[in-house]
Amino acid sequence: MGAKLRVMGPDKAGEALGREALQHVDALYAYAHYLTRDAQRAQDLVQETFARSLASARSFTPGTALKAWLFRIQRNVFLDQRRRETKSPVRGELDAEIVIGVSKDDADYDHLRGIVASEIEAALSALPEPQRSVVLLDLEGFSESEMADVLGCAPGTIKSRLARARAALRELLKEYAR
Amino acid sequence: MSTRQDEAERALTELLAERLPRPRAPEALHARLSELVVKQRPSQRWPGVLAGLGAFAAAAAVLLMISRTPAPSENPLLREVVNDHLRVLYAQHPVEIESGGIHQVKPWFSGRLDFAPRVTVEDDPEWPLVGGSISYVLDRKAATFVYTRRLHTISLFVFPDGELPWPQTSPHMLGDVQAQAMTARGYNVLLFKRQDLGYALVSDLSMRELSLLGEKLAAP
Repeated sequence: MGAKLRVMGPDKAGEALGREALQHVDALYAYAHYLTRDAQRAQDLVQETFARSLASARSFTPGTALKAWLFRIQRNVFLDQRRRETKSPVRGELDAEIVIGVSKDDADYDHLRGIVASEIEAALSALPEPQRSVVLLDLEGFSESEMADVLGCAPGTIKSRLARARAALRELLKEYAR
Repeated sequence: MSTRQDEAERALTELLAERLPRPRAPEALHARLSELVVKQRPSQRWPGVLAGLGAFAAAAAVLLMISRTPAPSENPLLREVVNDHLRVLYAQHPVEIESGGIHQVKPWFSGRLDFAPRVTVEDDPEWPLVGGSISYVLDRKAATFVYTRRLHTISLFVFPDGELPWPQTSPHMLGDVQAQAMTARGYNVLLFKRQDLGYALVSDLSMRELSLLGEKLAAP
């Protein structure tokens, strides 16, 4: 029995998961685009994400959110790659959040309406990775618990992290609007 | 929240939803990924042969099982730990925390992993510890310890072992602990479990010498 499972299990599990995962390629690529900020690296990242997902298909629990599982793997691969590229063996926290208080000048939201796509892309890219990720995951429609799973943090911290990220993004966008 | 803040939030939401570029994956990437998925498909040849052969079905089934049993070098876990070891070898800075001894390296992992790696080889002059880092074994984080012996580098990966595609080979005993001893791409690999953690030792060191370190790590 054990031998049969070993023979039949991985391939079938990998193929079934892979077929479903193909539906999320564009979403994974868009996320990779904003993680790497480089088209070729984004492609490599998605491909590595797929290779790892297929190799560990049996560790995926059917019935749970495949898309969140794929995003978690992709972010982990990205962080792993970036860590290996870092020159110094011991470093400080690279991704300290931009903390910006709630602006008193909320009337400036009118300026946001004049922002063009390249400016919002640049502003988003200027955020540290954890803030960039939480904004992108929110846009993808993930729930707070799914975002927490992808980002490896407690669900309770997602709301505050997202609020800080959006506040930082608004402030950055105001600069473009002026 | 004030109305102005509500409106500012709404404006940002609209801006992100409507104007943030969401690049689509190039067709070439779609094609490569589809190809990767198709490669996962089990061969359809053998079931057809079995149906047609009738009386030989039982024998053919045995052959089928053997033919589909992954060779040790194809095991995903084995492939992954060898790849991770190669990354250690090729990295300009293979460790993130340089060692001043295991008592400096182990605490470095707390807060970076959701498990505590149990490593019993401490300040052993025969197995100098270079340092540690975080890596990934398939879908999960792993603690990486890098040891040296003469001019050889040895990577030790420690990771939660649940539901990993553990290879099935003849047992290789490390003291009382049952391990799997394999070779892939010229590297010797020892895989074993202790409690709920998996351990992978990878090196170009001989299997005999690697097993000496394995026995120390597997000791209670």
